Amino acid sequence: MDRAKRETDKRNLMTGFRRTSTGGRINRAKPVSFTYNGKSFTALEGDTIASALLANDQTVIARSFKYHRPRGFLSAGLEETNGLFTLGEGANTIPNAIGTTTTLTNGLRIKSQNAWPSPTFDVMAINSLAAPFFTAGFYYKTFMGPFKRSWMWYEPFIRKAAGLGAATTNKGTERYDSTNSFCDVLVIGSGPAGLAAALTAGRGSARVILAEQDSDIGGSLLSSKLDVLEQWRTSTAAEIASLKNIRTLTNATVQGLYDHNQAVISIGENRLEIVQAKTIVHATGAYERPLVFNNNDKPGVMLAGALRTYLNRYALAPKRRAVIVTNNDSAYDAAFDLAEADVAVTIAETRSSPAGDLLARAAQLGIAVFPNSGIADVLGGQQLSAVKLSGRHAVTIECDVLGMSGGWNPAVHLTSHGGIKPKYDDAIASFVPGTFAEGQFGAGAVIGHFGLKASTHDGIAAAEAALQTLGIKPPKQKLDAPATREDRSYAIEAAWQPQEQAPKAFLDFQNDVTLKDLKQAHQEGYLSVEHLKRYTTLGMGTDQGKTSNINALAIMAAMRGMPIAEAGTTTFRPPFAPLTIGAIAGRTVGKHFRPTRRSPLHAWHEQNGGVFIEAGLWQRAWYYNWAGNRSEAAYIKEMELVRSGVGIADVSTLGKIDVQGPDAAEFLNRVYVNGFAKLPIGKARYGVMLNDDGIVLDDGTTSRISDTQYYMTTTTAQAGEVMSWLEYLLQCHWPELNVHVASLTDEWGGMAVSGPKSREALQLAFPHIDVSNEALPYMGVKDVEFGGTTIRFMRLSFSGELAYEVHCPANFAIALWDHIMHAATSLDIKPYGLEALASLRIEKGHVAGLELDHRNSLDDLGLGKMASKEKSYVGKELRFRENLQAPERWSLVGLELLESDKKLRGGAILFAATDEIKGHGRGYITSVTWSTELNKFIALGLYNGGLKHEGKEIIAAFPLKNEQVRLKIVSPHFIDKEGSRLHA
Amino acid sequence: MLDVRSPLGTNVKFEREGIILSETGGFTLTQIAGENKVLKKALGKIPTKIGIALEHGNRTLFRIGTSQFWILGEAVAASDGIFVVPLSSGRTCIQLEGPRARDILAACALIDFTPRAFKTGQFVMTGIHHTPVLIQCTDENTFHIYALRTFALNIWDWLCDTAQRLDHA
Repeated sequence: MDRAKRETDKRNLMTGFRRTSTGGRINRAKPVSFTYNGKSFTALEGDTIASALLANDQTVIARSFKYHRPRGFLSAGLEETNGLFTLGEGANTIPNAIGTTTTLTNGLRIKSQNAWPSPTFDVMAINSLAAPFFTAGFYYKTFMGPFKRSWMWYEPFIRKAAGLGAATTNKGTERYDSTNSFCDVLVIGSGPAGLAAALTAGRGSARVILAEQDSDIGGSLLSSKLDVLEQWRTSTAAEIASLKNIRTLTNATVQGLYDHNQAVISIGENRLEIVQAKTIVHATGAYERPLVFNNNDKPGVMLAGALRTYLNRYALAPKRRAVIVTNNDSAYDAAFDLAEADVAVTIAETRSSPAGDLLARAAQLGIAVFPNSGIADVLGGQQLSAVKLSGRHAVTIECDVLGMSGGWNPAVHLTSHGGIKPKYDDAIASFVPGTFAEGQFGAGAVIGHFGLKASTHDGIAAAEAALQTLGIKPPKQKLDAPATREDRSYAIEAAWQPQEQAPKAFLDFQNDVTLKDLKQAHQEGYLSVEHLKRYTTLGMGTDQGKTSNINALAIMAAMRGMPIAEAGTTTFRPPFAPLTIGAIAGRTVGKHFRPTRRSPLHAWHEQNGGVFIEAGLWQRAWYYNWAGNRSEAAYIKEMELVRSGVGIADVSTLGKIDVQGPDAAEFLNRVYVNGFAKLPIGKARYGVMLNDDGIVLDDGTTSRISDTQYYMTTTTAQAGEVMSWLEYLLQCHWPELNVHVASLTDEWGGMAVSGPKSREALQLAFPHIDVSNEALPYMGVKDVEFGGTTIRFMRLSFSGELAYEVHCPANFAIALWDHIMHAATSLDIKPYGLEALASLRIEKGHVAGLELDHRNSLDDLGLGKMASKEKSYVGKELRFRENLQAPERWSLVGLELLESDKKLRGGAILFAATDEIKGHGRGYITSVTWSTELNKFIALGLYNGGLKHEGKEIIAAFPLKNEQVRLKIVSPHFIDKEGSRLHA
Repeated sequence: MLDVRSPLGTNVKFEREGIILSETGGFTLTQIAGENKVLKKALGKIPTKIGIALEHGNRTLFRIGTSQFWILGEAVAASDGIFVVPLSSGRTCIQLEGPRARDILAACALIDFTPRAFKTGQFVMTGIHHTPVLIQCTDENTFHIYALRTFALNIWDWLCDTAQRLDHA
């Protein structure tokens, strides 16, 4: 026998398909080239990856998740469990693409997954030898020991051995996008029910979106070869296309439904659309259910409906012979179509008395029907070559494919996303929607009506109900149902379990969960469906149990001796089908990952050597390159500038709030712990506010501009929260106060002019304005007109030096900054950045965001004496609760490094000198800097008991770098304790 | 006189088929608060509903809360019962125009921007890229987007990026 003949014979023994000479929705004139695992193939326009591979004799296309068993395509749709592929390469790789729904495109590069070097020869198939050990809970039982962190060690190996496709970490060139839309009626699914609903709603002038996950509309109609159905589909689709108020989306999968009828739809790989619908019609159809028997996962075993789809839509018929096994009438459609395509068909019928008309038609087509028969086993090597029937007719039949139909499961998933549990319907032996959320309706197979005419009528009725909800009259012209025979009964007799021993009967093909696993889980006490899912992984993965769930829970219910209805289902959650992370992210990638906030002085910093750092959403000037090219050196130079001369810093990021009204003084007096009622006009005061639980919320200065107007500043970090807090207090607690607040954070820019020469600098810049100590004393405030706008001088100091803040409307901030810089050139004024700003305040002992972390009380921060004893204020009562008065609370201390050759680090854990260096210690360092004045590292920190331990030597440990250093607890005010500099 | 600087730079413009983005500067925007009857007396008319701008004299009035309004145009002076906050520096007005302008807006906020739902004279207060904006329809396909100044460049970039991706639609 020559080699060519041997190859031909070998192929003939395998599962295989042939293109039929006519029919199908493929374009025979347009070949499409693609590669699969590096080899070149050709298929036709209109093919999916699945039909293209089947047409090219690629029937073993994957290896199973756990046992690496050979797998072929199970289905022809979204429910596919086995046919997942990695598409593209390099940065634009897309893993886990469903081969049965992905349209083939020219040049597409397709790779199989979870198999090496190929699905037909997979090294990891050795796993199947160890299958007896890989039972339910195998990972949990095996890889948790012998040590505490053993799982962490095993995990990478397990993931490599068992897994789906791998995402790329390279930056892709694909562009993703998202948008929003609105409609009156969202119709999900475009089968006969969906088409009827969309057209009825559209004729009623409603704004309609018709979302279809397939690349073409028609749903189950696309799998039929009846001309009358195709005529109905095309004429309905044509009218839909002609109506401007109907928008049809294909390749559009509704991934989730949320409150108020909001739907999230993925469109293709790259787009996400959020649809706010007034009403929704569910016409999502149903998924065919596999049957459970031995070796039911072997390539060549497929869903009966899928065989029909491959035949009628893709012109792919099994090469010679097909066996159909069914427990309901629907699979006869597949059997008859196959027989008409010259396929020798045998039917194993689990029911005892199939309908007479079906038997008669089968006889006409030469189909042998074996009643009371299931499948005992599937025979063959890598692929099916024959099946052995169970029951009375225990014969073995050679065949290319086995089509199975265990009934149909309505696609109820989306109806459950709002929390509505599906309910079991004995008549169809499956679950239907429990009910529908307000404004939602169901039609066709999703509600258990599998007939064509019933589905069409449902669609019309659902649309009319939706229109009624919208207050729109239904259209006078009713859509005619397709002119086909009357719907026949579905006539299912459930067959959940195999009739014979079935050690390799798979329930969940994607997760390799067998009947045996289910029984073991039951024996080990995992009884509820939710526990079952988590213990066995049944129903997880990309298909989310679309084909496996109902069989499994029916079998579990039987084992528990309870009705299926009582066993219930697991919870269906979004997303309904796999989608790309890119589609979810949309435009929020790269620089748009989150919003960027820029000071009104940002452009100046950019143009003048500013180096930026992210601070929350803000881009802030960190340091300037006049002082050096590294922050560690530059900030020290900038500190020295402020301590010895004059510097200017951008403080525009501070929160700024306008507080106005006759009751503004009373309002502030209640908000701050210290008194504000008697603050004179033209004066600022430092204030601290608490949450109502007595914890410090924020601090800042508030200036009195007029009798009824104040200008509040907050920390940068808390600006938004303080604004919300003030509005909340006014609206909910004190509506009787006549006070209005408005955020000025964006309206005003601010700059701090700091240092011993700062007054001189302002005098040079504003010679006509008196900024002397008498005219503008410490905490003095003055508004002046300058350069066509109002400028606000506030003599405040964050650095501890003589300093001023100069605020102005943000439009003029750069011009004002330039003006001051230019005027004070002779004083060698220079900008200083955030690092120096934050370091100067540490030397002065001012608390900031790192200390105000929503966990500390006034007393913790050494600010308790500020609080008024006379008046009431927010947080006063709870400030004195026992826990906040405990003497061991972590309280503010200053810290000096005792080892000059070492470094202090923020976040270091503090221990007493005699403590074992272990655990959370007695406190931690909040802020640290090099002190240009003290020539050593200093820090602020929170320490158990605080300044009670002043003078003691302690230890700071930084485990990340295995460092320990000795420190001394000192006052947090490192410089100018008397305040002579800022009062100068 | 101090020079005025926009956060978007000078004479910014972005054009793509069906879309033009530019900045509308030089406006006077004031927020006022107070009892409705007091404000009505001062302004002559005030809008009764949030969402529809009222053109009155040389002002456009936006009701932004129960007792808060924006005045675009001539400001009013503070007086008894009228609390005035200038906001001309605090907002940047980005003009979006063109036949595909509504597509851009739809991609930015979950608001119905179709012509039958969002007509000339209407405005919405919503968010673009997590930051608050007021969007006013000033003509059939022309919109003014009032963005917080400190986020304005971010929103400009976001809108340009959105426009560049429209081919996917």
